[in-house]
Amino acid sequence: MTSTTSSADASPPPIFPLHADHLVLNLALIALLLPLACFVLLALVWPLRRAGRLAGWLSATVAVISFGASARLLMLVVGGEAPLTETVGWLVRDGKVIASMGVHIDGISASMLAVVTLVAACVQVYSLGYMAEDSLPAQGRYFTYHSLFITAMGGLVLAPNLLQLFAGWELVGLCSYLLIGFYWAKPSAGQAAVKAFWVTKFADMGLIVGLLALYGATGTFAWDAHLVGIWATAVPALLFMGVMGKSAQVPLHIWLPDAMEGPTPVSALLHAATMVAAGVYLIVRAYPLFELAPSLLLAMTWIGASTALIAAATAIVQDDIKKVLAYSTCSQLGYMIAALGSGQIMGGYFHLTTHAFFKSLLFLGAGAAIHAVHSNDIHDMGGLWKTTRISALLFITGSLALVGVPIFAGFFSKDLILEEMLEAGQYVPVAMLVLGAGLTAFYMTRVIVIAYFGDAAEGAEHAHEAPWTMLLPMGALGLLAVGAGFGGDLLATLWGQQYHFGMTPIGITTSVIGLGGIALGIMRYGTSTWTADLLGGLRGFILSGPVDRFWDSAWRQGLLPFAQVVGWFDRYIVDGLINMVAWLFIFLADRIKRFQTGRAQDYVFAVVLGVVAFIAYGMVGA
Amino acid sequence: MNSFPWLSMIVFAPLVAAVVLLAIPTKSRTTTRIVAITSTLVSLVGSLRVAIGYLPGGGYQFREHYPIIESIGINLDLGVDGWGISLLLLTSIIIFAGAFASWTLTQRDKEFYVLLLALVCGVFGVFVSLDLFVFFLFYEIAVLPMYLLIGVWGSTKKVAEAGPFRFLFRLLDIGGKEYAAIKLTLMLLTGSAFILVGILAMYDSAGAHSFSIETLGRATYPRSLQMWVFPALWLGFGTLAGVFPFHTWSPDGHASAPTAVSMLHAGVLMKLGAFGVMRIGMVMLPQGAASWAWVVGCVAVVNIVYGALAAMRQTDLKYIVAYSSVSHMGVVMLGAATMTVEGWNGAIYQMVAHGLMTGLFFALVGLIYGQTHDREVGNMGGFAKSMPAVAVFFTIASLSSLGMPGLAGFVAEFQVFLGAWNGPMPWWALAGVLGAWLTAVYVLRAARRIFWGAGPPARFTNLSDPVGTEWVALVVLTACLILFGVAPRLILDDIDTTTVGYLDTISQTAPPQASAGVRP
Repeated sequence: MTSTTSSADASPPPIFPLHADHLVLNLALIALLLPLACFVLLALVWPLRRAGRLAGWLSATVAVISFGASARLLMLVVGGEAPLTETVGWLVRDGKVIASMGVHIDGISASMLAVVTLVAACVQVYSLGYMAEDSLPAQGRYFTYHSLFITAMGGLVLAPNLLQLFAGWELVGLCSYLLIGFYWAKPSAGQAAVKAFWVTKFADMGLIVGLLALYGATGTFAWDAHLVGIWATAVPALLFMGVMGKSAQVPLHIWLPDAMEGPTPVSALLHAATMVAAGVYLIVRAYPLFELAPSLLLAMTWIGASTALIAAATAIVQDDIKKVLAYSTCSQLGYMIAALGSGQIMGGYFHLTTHAFFKSLLFLGAGAAIHAVHSNDIHDMGGLWKTTRISALLFITGSLALVGVPIFAGFFSKDLILEEMLEAGQYVPVAMLVLGAGLTAFYMTRVIVIAYFGDAAEGAEHAHEAPWTMLLPMGALGLLAVGAGFGGDLLATLWGQQYHFGMTPIGITTSVIGLGGIALGIMRYGTSTWTADLLGGLRGFILSGPVDRFWDSAWRQGLLPFAQVVGWFDRYIVDGLINMVAWLFIFLADRIKRFQTGRAQDYVFAVVLGVVAFIAYGMVGA
Repeated sequence: MNSFPWLSMIVFAPLVAAVVLLAIPTKSRTTTRIVAITSTLVSLVGSLRVAIGYLPGGGYQFREHYPIIESIGINLDLGVDGWGISLLLLTSIIIFAGAFASWTLTQRDKEFYVLLLALVCGVFGVFVSLDLFVFFLFYEIAVLPMYLLIGVWGSTKKVAEAGPFRFLFRLLDIGGKEYAAIKLTLMLLTGSAFILVGILAMYDSAGAHSFSIETLGRATYPRSLQMWVFPALWLGFGTLAGVFPFHTWSPDGHASAPTAVSMLHAGVLMKLGAFGVMRIGMVMLPQGAASWAWVVGCVAVVNIVYGALAAMRQTDLKYIVAYSSVSHMGVVMLGAATMTVEGWNGAIYQMVAHGLMTGLFFALVGLIYGQTHDREVGNMGGFAKSMPAVAVFFTIASLSSLGMPGLAGFVAEFQVFLGAWNGPMPWWALAGVLGAWLTAVYVLRAARRIFWGAGPPARFTNLSDPVGTEWVALVVLTACLILFGVAPRLILDDIDTTTVGYLDTISQTAPPQASAGVRP
């Protein structure tokens, strides 16, 4: 505990550089450290935390300020501020820093930070209304976790190297665990939280080994290191394993639907807009590494496309409105991964941003519906269009953006992905994605028809509109769900790329298929006479959760019994052998002690025997 | 350099307090505690002073020298380097917390504190001794009081009789506290015999008529000697470090021991073993170490994975934590076996991180057990409702043990994995990473079963959060876990300087692959 400088360097310890004259850095630090200060305050000052409402307003205010700083930062970066990196040494080896912590600000990180803080601010304001019925200490705890989340996610986004990105990655995973298990008294919430942690941590083993291999090959954790030989493929492949867990790609997507046990605003922020997109962000960030592994990119395209299709098909049979949206998130993340796999980083990233807006809007809308009827089941809703007109309108807006109806945000980003992938010659994956788009339209229509236009279920007739704290952030996201699609130019500027939108055949095809899906949905669920089942026999198979069952049996019939055997072996064989040694000594002592009879005659006899032996030895030896 | 004998103060303050306690009437319970805690505070302040005053250049500092038996070269020769200050800090933090954690003890509390303080004097002594004989002496002082501490103040838990050695259970009273105490003592003393033989062999071979670690360290030992002395030291010290298959004293011992003893034993004493393997075995016998490194590493990997799997199977809370120690000490030994800068830095850091983490765990387990008088995880549930603070601290300890960035455990494990990846057998790192995941599995499962869910069950009605002095241990240990997780360079720079110094010495005598660093 001497000084924080290395032995060779006698200068005073570097304190995190808050330069009075460097606006860009200061803004980034405000966005990052203000929520951290709020978290520390709420964590340590328990009367404040347990006061609940005050903690919530404080946390939400900080989130809004954090967004303000990020927005200003983004404007500066768009205005041409040069990329900036500021770090302090964190780990040393042989007196030299091998890993540092700090901020790296460029077009990618600044735009992602703005998206994250915007959605976070909306969600926190919304939570002020949504969580109002929970107990005050619970509300305080909720907002404490949220403040930590902004810092962790900000640290991930602004990371100057992959190690800090990993640190943020694990910390957002922690926030996810805590918030999924927010209602910890509920057994299903506890199981879902632990499952989410286990599955993502399982995938993170790949990420850690990837970091080790990167360090082994280059001595750094830089994402633009130049790798050669087998490491050029192995390192990004290992990193991608982590991505599959975090961004819920088949077959590691199983935790995401369960994660819906958390409060709905949490699902909007962590499990739709930002945290699950961290995997996509990692690939975008570390694309210089991924670029060198064409076979991995091809695999990514297929995994993404399969996830997009499988998850969309699964979403159709869900009755829980949040589960529909959860599978939809998996599916949309599949689009992004497929795009990145085809080398379309711009398209994948564009879809990440638009998706963040409309999917969080959808979750917040679903939250408003759940808030109104106190049930997640779409069949318990019905007729919400009449009772909660504003939130219904916003939910439908979000759906149109998700389906990709022209003008709405999702249309532009999805169109860009498909167009570019088609140019890259990925015909089969494109076909899968187009089909997925049709299914997307179908399942969203199903939800809207049943929940908003169907016959009002018992209890749903008296549904009431959400308070303004909930409607205001939904409105803001609604505007973005409509307008964010026109931000393509801005994004392209940040990336230094060309982007111009044109109505192409693939765009028209997708739109037509999307509208067809909507029409089919209305026909199928709008009238009760039309009984054909789109998925037929597949429905039962999907509902039985085949992937989940596979992992469950690997756990129940693989790992647990193995651990049982190891534990038994240790207690009864390893320890048994050691006890056996103890017994051996007891046994020998028992035999030897018989020589000590305690009778004088025996001892005299032994002495005589000894003397005779000595004499004999002397005579023979001489 | 420093006229004030800081190290003697740190080492002997607990011993002085132990003597003072003997003179105090048994009834003055508060006085007993104040004396004990004051002495641990003196050591803590001393350790902080030494850590802050340690100059960046490396090498042994704060030297003290008092002759004992000059004719055969035995001296009380004290000094610390970067490794020493880290472990001094750890020990003084743990004993300070442990003294508070024993506050509510009622049975023969004066004798308890006397033994505890004598024990910790031995631990401090090992970390600062520069004389191998005195080192061994302190080592024995640290090990022996454990017999009484567990045998008198421990708890008994029935173990199901099964397996091929079923007939031994009644005979040896397996699961009883006396059984645990004698098992621990016998196994560790058997290890000590190996250590003593090793030390004498080195003394004899060096021929310098000195037990000074520096003098012995400068000597060159024939390869044939190193080839058998190193494994002897590894087995001897390794038994205390919980090296497979000589770890079985640890689960029984830690489960039977009272709270503060478990904290000290798992938190600090096991580190003596690992420290011995590294400081005496590897640094002084580099050729033997390099030849045996693959065995040490492979066994460490077994420790990590096997310990984690065994922990997963346990249903007794103390056994879960005890097996997690077996697994995490494997990480220390893995770092040591890599013989790389990252690996050794990580190994020392893991000693500190694991010490703090497991100390916190046992303090919490003590708090829970003190109220429930039940350690069976399956009987618990929903405790977060009645003891929310305990739930929070338990979660933080769990997160550190599974390697969550921001807590000390991550800094340590990650460096060990880096070292392993760049060491002689890169696949060790894979096993280490797998172990970290298995830790997440069993530790979060335990946390969920204890604290989450509806409850608590009706039979646990009067559970509550800690009161008064019980908070001290939890707050201190948690604060340190976070501090060393966020700002590792508080101690890492000094550890690094020391490690590099040792490895430089080794690379002059040992084959080049032993000091393999980052591949260019």
